[in-house]
Amino acid sequence: MDEIEQWKAKIQELVDPFQQQIQQKIQNIPDIQLYTAVAIIFVTLILSVIVRLSKKKKSNTIILAGLSGSGKTVLFYQLQDGSSHQGTVTSMEPNEGTFVLHSELNKKVKIRPVHIVDLPGHSRLRPKLDDYLPQSAGLVFVVDALEFLSTCRAAAEYLYDILTKATVVKKKVPVLILCNKTEKVTAHSKEFIRKQLEKEIDKLRASRTAISDADISSEYTLGVPGQPFQFSQCTNKVTVGEASGLTGEISQVEQFIREHVKS
Amino acid sequence: MLEQLLVFTRGGLILWACREISKALQGSPIDALIRSCLLEERSGAVSYNYDVPGASYTLKWTFHNELGLVFVAVYQRILHLLYVDDLLAMVKKEFAGIYDPKRTEYDEFEAIFQQLRMEAEARAEEMKKSAVQVGAKVGGRKLELVGKGRSDQGGKRGGSSGDGGDGELGKGRSFENGHVNGGVREEKGSVDGKKELVTQNGAFDVNKLQQKIRSKGGKKTDTVTTKGSKAEPKKKMVKKNRVWDDSPPEVKLDFTDPVDEKGDDNVKFVAVDEGESMMDKEEIVSSDSEVDEDEQVEGDGNGETKKKGWFSSMFQSIAGKANLEKADLEPALKALKDRLMTKNVAEEIAEKLCESVAASLEGKKLASFTRVSSTVQAAMEEALVRILTPNRSIDILRGVHAAKEQGKPYVIVFIGVNGVGKSTNLAKVAYWLLQHKVSVMMAACDTFRSGAVEQLRTHARRLQIPIFEKGYEKDPAVVAKEAIQEAARNGSDVVLVDTAGRMQDNEPLMRALSKLINLNDPDLVLFVGEALVGNDAVDQLTKFNQKLADLSTSQRPRLIDGILLTKFDTIDDKVGAALSMVYISGAPVMFVGCGQSYTDLKKLNVKSIVKTLLK
Repeated sequence: MDEIEQWKAKIQELVDPFQQQIQQKIQNIPDIQLYTAVAIIFVTLILSVIVRLSKKKKSNTIILAGLSGSGKTVLFYQLQDGSSHQGTVTSMEPNEGTFVLHSELNKKVKIRPVHIVDLPGHSRLRPKLDDYLPQSAGLVFVVDALEFLSTCRAAAEYLYDILTKATVVKKKVPVLILCNKTEKVTAHSKEFIRKQLEKEIDKLRASRTAISDADISSEYTLGVPGQPFQFSQCTNKVTVGEASGLTGEISQVEQFIREHVKS
Repeated sequence: MLEQLLVFTRGGLILWACREISKALQGSPIDALIRSCLLEERSGAVSYNYDVPGASYTLKWTFHNELGLVFVAVYQRILHLLYVDDLLAMVKKEFAGIYDPKRTEYDEFEAIFQQLRMEAEARAEEMKKSAVQVGAKVGGRKLELVGKGRSDQGGKRGGSSGDGGDGELGKGRSFENGHVNGGVREEKGSVDGKKELVTQNGAFDVNKLQQKIRSKGGKKTDTVTTKGSKAEPKKKMVKKNRVWDDSPPEVKLDFTDPVDEKGDDNVKFVAVDEGESMMDKEEIVSSDSEVDEDEQVEGDGNGETKKKGWFSSMFQSIAGKANLEKADLEPALKALKDRLMTKNVAEEIAEKLCESVAASLEGKKLASFTRVSSTVQAAMEEALVRILTPNRSIDILRGVHAAKEQGKPYVIVFIGVNGVGKSTNLAKVAYWLLQHKVSVMMAACDTFRSGAVEQLRTHARRLQIPIFEKGYEKDPAVVAKEAIQEAARNGSDVVLVDTAGRMQDNEPLMRALSKLINLNDPDLVLFVGEALVGNDAVDQLTKFNQKLADLSTSQRPRLIDGILLTKFDTIDDKVGAALSMVYISGAPVMFVGCGQSYTDLKKLNVKSIVKTLLK
């Protein structure tokens, strides 16, 4: 403690002469000039703050989410490189990349690179979604159109959880429900998938909102109570599209991305 | 011969697969490995077995944590390849040399791989040859067993029992669980099984010896059939009263008042309404105490590493260039393990968790300004959150609605050892369901304990729900079946089946339980475990699951689907039992019982448990 006090005393000694000089100089300046100087600084600060707030920087993050095995990692590499390389296995970690979409590489115009995040679909890794949602400009929910009937309930639950998250509702994050693997003959059509998902979410709504208002998981209710649920009732925009990750038919995804990540 | 060797990123992209092997793998062993082993924090295990009709593979893996790569080798289980570990290590080293994050094609690695494989095979051959000469290594003996025909039986028997001994010593580290089983023992089981049928009665009883070896490994081939045959005559005998000591059998004591069963219409109980069940209340987790916690943790970590190389560790933490080695992780992991064990986590589980975290951190570069202990802490926290996050939906109401649509009642069976709180918590679950406008029916299948039926009857009266009972000394499986039929008839949505408590070692009782579950095929098998249990939790859950799997007659046996943790209010912060149970069974915790009244039932809050465990 003594040491600190010694140091303090020494610093005081050094600073003292400067202090006196500064005080004298300030006293010399006429009052009006002093006040105008302070006022100008103040106004500049306020203006810069206003400008920064008004110019909302649009994020360029798009999230790929969905059940395990629906084809998100394949889609990610299609968007990035135009091919799915040698195949994929169940992801253990998210794949992230900021790049210009592969199909847009040959355009001469300068395009803003997109930040795409491919989140693992395994249920134990679901909490990772909350880390990326706040900065997202859009979400692509990938559904396996081939194995749809067996995974319908799980997909609907996941989709319901996403659509009722506070961040999604407040920021009106647009969602594209993508029916993947459509190159196979037995894949279901997007209309069928849409109707089934709406029905399942309707049932989920009934079982979850029967619970009192303090339900831990869902923080908002979906749709209009009393009417069967439809995606058009969501406050954020929900659309349905088709794609085929393996063959590279991903035009609808790219359109969605271009729509929501403006350069 | 190696079936396949894959290199892929943690994000899921396959970087290189051995091109020479043209035969495709049956099923999807890699995905199964990732889902049931690596993501379940069992990556410290030695190998993983994958069975699919038509093939049985063993998988071995290694990580390169710095670059985020996984190397997996797949081979047939019956071929016992010794060079796989060696080969994986070499492949890891070579691949790390040519890896580039931007590249996705590594065709030139094929040539390097062939060379490495030949080298590894040659080394293994040499070892085998020396083993044949010395006669002490396991591998050589096994080749002899497989290669030779029916030669001197006594010699082979001696050899096989010797192998059993060696195998066990060698595989002492791998844990006895249905999943990760030393490939050695299984292979031996199949080989010896065939030989056993052939051999005549030898000098000593081979059957007993081999049964002993096999039963230690937990394999079910011949032991179950012999035990099954023993049990058959037992079943035909009439069930006798349990005699605890040498006292003469007592007169049957049944104080059930015959009037009561008809006379309960007169006593009208008002339906109990104690307010909202705590299941529906949101738990407020205080986050302002996190800052203090971190400082406390730092203080502890600091204390551990104070004397040894303080200056060097400080330097390293600032520069952040050190590659994490096993030796560096040792002290931090040991401290974490001790901390977990003081929180009542079973010793085995804490050990396995630490191994898994070590496997995922080895070789990683320390970020600057971080200490080893904080990195380990962060990795352990992530692992714990991953384990405790449910991997299937725990939304029971959704299941109830689905069953309602199909016109069947939703059946929940409560199983567990003696005195954990099955009947009490059954009543709590019934209360919660009633609050959500679901019609419930109870089934009193505890026909053994005195007063069990009356207990449920009282609960049913207070909650005003129907109860199906047949008194005492009846077969619980039949009672349950009739209860479900009754529920279908009177339109109840849910049937809650109460069973008698039983110890996991009690063979006849476990058989009876298995019969109940097989006969009725419930929608949810809920294991009730108390939070006070310590290392016994591991034993309870493994044995219950094992018996349910072994004694099941159907193709896909019903295992434990969920866990109900009881007496949570009696432990202050020693919440480790939850972790042990979830880790060992893979089933999520669906309810937590935290008191003895109807409203004391809540959901498990993963974040708060992890925080409490690592405090």
